[in-house]
Amino acid sequence: MKWPLVHRAVPNRQIPLFNRFYLHASAASQVDPIMVWGTEIDADALQTYLREQNRSARVVLTPAHALIRATALALTQFPEMNVRVVGHRVYPFRSVNIRIVYFHRKNGEMDLLMVQDANLKSVEQIGLELWQRLLQAARSEGGRDRDLARLRRIPAFWFRQVFQFYGLIDRNLHLPSWGRLDASRGGCATVNDLSFPGAPPMRMYKATRFPDPADSLNVTLGPIENKVVARSNEFISVNVMPLFLRADHRFVDAQQAGRFLSSVRNLLSNPKRLDSEMDHSDIITGQPTREHRVTTD
Amino acid sequence: MTISQSELVADLLHFVQSRGARHAEVTSHTDLLESGLLDSLLLMDLILHIEEVSGIRIEGDQVNPSNFRSIAAIVEFLLKAPVPQGSRSDRR
Repeated sequence: MKWPLVHRAVPNRQIPLFNRFYLHASAASQVDPIMVWGTEIDADALQTYLREQNRSARVVLTPAHALIRATALALTQFPEMNVRVVGHRVYPFRSVNIRIVYFHRKNGEMDLLMVQDANLKSVEQIGLELWQRLLQAARSEGGRDRDLARLRRIPAFWFRQVFQFYGLIDRNLHLPSWGRLDASRGGCATVNDLSFPGAPPMRMYKATRFPDPADSLNVTLGPIENKVVARSNEFISVNVMPLFLRADHRFVDAQQAGRFLSSVRNLLSNPKRLDSEMDHSDIITGQPTREHRVTTD
Repeated sequence: MTISQSELVADLLHFVQSRGARHAEVTSHTDLLESGLLDSLLLMDLILHIEEVSGIRIEGDQVNPSNFRSIAAIVEFLLKAPVPQGSRSDRR
């Protein structure tokens, strides 16, 4: 049994009034706190980095591994975003854990993997961990797959009852995580690498919220697209990848979301920084607007 | 089932070339990583296909660039890998 959240919620006085309007809005008011911000990254820089890394790395590295690392570093820089809502209170997570959506070959459906303490792992360590777990899943080995198989056997009626009851208590009570399946509640961010070959150019993308209240943020990377841009008074052809952030207005405002996305974008556009020591001032020019005091009890 | 080295090369080439128009020109010595042809989805499918035809189990730490740089490199890696007992393949 683990407690993914710290025991004390962020004090109300530390939450801006504007966010509290969203946090305490009644269901009847039908407020939608979800906001989405899209931008682009320099795909050439990321591709060059991955090509260089793949000449000497211990494991084949992909954009997904870089995306996990970049998101984790940005969350370290913006700890006020490494939180979730329980009831009408905001709780910080104890560590920076990142969920990634992947295609489960054996089951032919999407599934989630959680990378624990992703801010403390190198891109290579993240890559090694993910390949091991993806291969394990593809062979239907490991406890999580056995648990998923059991879950599939539950009749629809009982599945709905259990799922709704669990959702109710998880939305309103500060709970520990006690099983393999609900371990994915241990992080606030989900990343999605949709840069697969054959994907159409991505103009807009709103990641849905997984029916898990811990899923506060989503960072999605889209496919490479060639564009002509003006630089230094001349037109040049560049490769870009779209990058989308879904965030929750109950604990973050658009300015913070923009700064967070800027941090992820700058890390992916200057990927050598992913392997260097964390240096807040070097990653973006702006500073975090506010920080919640994280109580480790 | 038995499979020779040349059959393994031909099988893997066919597997990769059938992936799409971009992959049609791949040869056994094409650098799949430098050319950007080996994405994570293809790599995962390739690993599972290799396991199926050769019976060799590939671990996460073996998914490294030197083993998967080209079809020739993959076959070289497979020839060095220990063949499990009861394997479906008999490499010659």
